[in-house]
Amino acid sequence: MLSYARLKTIGVQKQGENRRVVSGVLEDELYGMQCEIAVSWPDPVIETIQTRMKRFTTTRCPLAEKVFVRAEGWKFDESLDSRIKKELGREGCRHMAALIVDCCRAVARAELAADLRIAMERDPDLNRSEFVENFFGRYPGLKEYMRLR
Amino acid sequence: MILGFQSNSLTTVQKLETNLWRVVSRTDDDLYSAELVLDIGTPALDIKDAQFSVKRDVLGLASDFSPVFEKLVGVRVGSGMTKIVRAIVADEGGSGRAADLVLEAMEMLINALTVPQLRKATEDYGKQVFLESDGPRVFLNNVLLGEEQVRLMAGNPRMKDSCAAFRDL
Repeated sequence: MLSYARLKTIGVQKQGENRRVVSGVLEDELYGMQCEIAVSWPDPVIETIQTRMKRFTTTRCPLAEKVFVRAEGWKFDESLDSRIKKELGREGCRHMAALIVDCCRAVARAELAADLRIAMERDPDLNRSEFVENFFGRYPGLKEYMRLR
Repeated sequence: MILGFQSNSLTTVQKLETNLWRVVSRTDDDLYSAELVLDIGTPALDIKDAQFSVKRDVLGLASDFSPVFEKLVGVRVGSGMTKIVRAIVADEGGSGRAADLVLEAMEMLINALTVPQLRKATEDYGKQVFLESDGPRVFLNNVLLGEEQVRLMAGNPRMKDSCAAFRDL
């Protein structure tokens, strides 16, 4: 039998040309977390974040709720992951922070996937390395942020 | 609004035998799919075996990392594991995503090992609470560990500093 299982499921929506919204859910034996984040585009910055800590273990845990809004205004750059883990995870809740990290990465990956889909429809033999280079040419700030390998 | 992209991950922890645990971590999105299997021994919490396979790689950027994962054998779950795993799996042109998967798997083993203690403490000493965030009719957090129990449990090395609730005590 399984002793533990953690599921994270994330979905990204494009809401017009200048807004992306990502929603995430984390469930395991100990924790239940949910967040929704609105991100501006094409210069990705966290506009709004709302969180719900659904299940946790101690009376201290819900104190973290007030920490997460600090992320509003944070840019997508190479320091974003560590900033979320340090400022939201250590001072708030590491489990919610883990979900927020994955949600933000999903926003960037969603954009790349959407552009790739269009490019492959135009050219089924697309050179994907060149496509990736062109993508980062359009969004230079994402090159250090995204982990494609 | 219709979703444009999905990402799903599942990490499971299973006790294979008295001193051996298996953690399987899978990640899947529109671009990439991979699975990691870690076998970890107790009580040392050292990795006995590590297998990683990329199931789908739309961008064609994932290399064969198998030799790298052999180097994880002997690495212990515990303090310092983040730096060690990143140095082995992510640095020098490795895979940051694969390193994340390894760290997630190791962290979930810690969570699994703390469940019995948290369950017993909650059943024995859980304080009845009502939180507005739980809504008016459904209570997911009907009992929680209060300050006294949190301080007591923070004395357990596996719990101490494991998250903000057990820090600075």
